[in-house]
Amino acid sequence: MRRITLWVLGTITTLVLLFSYNTSTSSAGGAPSSVISGTASGTSDSSGASGSSNSDGSSSSSSSSSSSSAAKTSAAKTYDGDSVMTQWGVVQVRITVKDGRITAADVLQVPSENHRDQEINSYAVPVLNSEVTNAQNANIDMVSGATVTSDGYIRSLQSAIDQAGL
Amino acid sequence: MTTADLAGRMPAPPASPQVATVPRSVRRVPTWWRDASAALLWAVLLYVTALWVGGGGLGDLGSVAGLLTSTGRLTGLIASALLLVQVLLMARVPWFEQAWGQDGLARLHRTVGFTSFTLMVGHIVLITLGYAAASPAGLWGTVVDLVVSYPGMLLAVAGTAALVMVVVTSVKKARARLRYESWHLIHLYAYLGAGLALPHQLWTGQEFLSSPFATVFWWGVYAVAAGAVLVFRVGVPLWRSLRAPIVVSDVRPEGSDATTVTVSGAGLAHLPAQAGQFFIWRFLSGSGWTRGHPYSVSAAPDGRTLRLTAAHLGDGSAALTRLRPGTRVLVEGPFGRLHPGLRSRRRVLLMGAGIGIAPLRALLEALPQQPGDVTVVQRAGSPSGLVLAHEIRDLAAARGARHVVVEGHRAPGRDSWLPAQAAHLTDAQALLELVPDVRDHDVFLCGAPDWMDAARAAALECGVPADHIHLERFAY
Repeated sequence: MRRITLWVLGTITTLVLLFSYNTSTSSAGGAPSSVISGTASGTSDSSGASGSSNSDGSSSSSSSSSSSSAAKTSAAKTYDGDSVMTQWGVVQVRITVKDGRITAADVLQVPSENHRDQEINSYAVPVLNSEVTNAQNANIDMVSGATVTSDGYIRSLQSAIDQAGL
Repeated sequence: MTTADLAGRMPAPPASPQVATVPRSVRRVPTWWRDASAALLWAVLLYVTALWVGGGGLGDLGSVAGLLTSTGRLTGLIASALLLVQVLLMARVPWFEQAWGQDGLARLHRTVGFTSFTLMVGHIVLITLGYAAASPAGLWGTVVDLVVSYPGMLLAVAGTAALVMVVVTSVKKARARLRYESWHLIHLYAYLGAGLALPHQLWTGQEFLSSPFATVFWWGVYAVAAGAVLVFRVGVPLWRSLRAPIVVSDVRPEGSDATTVTVSGAGLAHLPAQAGQFFIWRFLSGSGWTRGHPYSVSAAPDGRTLRLTAAHLGDGSAALTRLRPGTRVLVEGPFGRLHPGLRSRRRVLLMGAGIGIAPLRALLEALPQQPGDVTVVQRAGSPSGLVLAHEIRDLAAARGARHVVVEGHRAPGRDSWLPAQAAHLTDAQALLELVPDVRDHDVFLCGAPDWMDAARAAALECGVPADHIHLERFAY
């Protein structure tokens, strides 16, 4: 019975070690490769730092009109788009407008409930943010592999642009 | 060409009493069980495909990454559904077993297993490529990320390893080189593999993340499969064997090549055994008791005793000669579709070769019949292979059935159910000679696999409809 004892012990060992690992015991396990933070980790240029610095996790629920939050200069204003419900969660975009130009864009809410969403959006959101400042409108390309988020982003972005009157 | 040309000598009958029997009621197998079980299989596959379509699977096919990931998800879903079916096929669920036969289920298990494995490999490759195409991390980075960061994925990798082990050892060449017991123990890792692969489906799989109902349903379906295994493979056999002791009451040689063992016990009254079925027997007599052997019941069950007759073909069956009365017995069963419940015509042909005649002798005893309804054709290579011939002769005489003995070694190089001295006939001609109206019979076959194939082909050629031919394979 020797060999079977070895196999049983080996199997139990493997199982115990497997289940000790953090991704093995709950659906929310695993450290995402990069965390979505409120501040745009991408390449929003110019006065991005001033305009969107206070959007850390603040989730204004339904459509809010232009919030007069941190207007550091007389003309920079932020506009929050509608909270768009997508298959994976809510997307909400905030744009900063100064002198009739969109100077920065960022997300207030983006699906981040599971690891896949976090991972996709960690690279998709910065790309979308920088495309907005380049295009200055909502006709931006979707990010491949993040079509659901991109779609929600564009719709929320359009509503923010409408509010800004651009 | 007369019957006398085919008949050979019969061994002298030993002075052995016949087993007294009380006829039991015939339990028919409803034909809709087959349709229902096939519909269940189809429904499971349909459900996962609908989950995929509903989750946007078709729409995602637009981009390269989407195509890879989406088809990867579909292959994963189907592979998982097939794994579930695999577990259910081997769970010894009585309705499936009676509808298809243990051997039919085992052959299906083999096909489904290799299909599921291929789809699983496809799933792994497609998902990895799809995720890599959509992420800046590159292929290796994606692989590492998949394994260490996603919920349940490390478990899934271990589950994959277990399933690879199972499949590799089940390929015919590999399996032939392993002892049966070793192969079987490795095969049990398939349960682990299926179980370890389940969490990642529900915690990382998109179709389940987006639908709580699907998640609950999938856990539920897997729980049902696990429950079926526990109930029908473990619980019921233990209950049947242990509620009242079943012990060996008589061991008797049957010629030089076979042994008849009779077991008795109060618990036998509750076993729904029918004549011609088989059990998996474990005789608790020292070493080797963990190994179960399938032997057919060779006399009609009477509620108090069960009698099996087995030929000395391997270690297990040779050990039967050394069994002592009083030895405790564990049984699993009854299994098999060679019983009166499958009979649907008045006339019956029972054709058996070698030890395959054992379940047919039980059928002869238990089948309700008028004189002339039943014909028994007993085939053997030599007189010592004519097992139970005297009992069959006496039973046939008492019931007005015909008993024909066909003895002689097969002509070499020819796949035939006939002996060499009948080589001038084709299989079908000889069958028609023996049983001119065979096309109106139910045909029950039992013997070595090649012999049964030849006999079945002959019966088909004589016009017997395929669903009136019943056979049971013990090697698969």
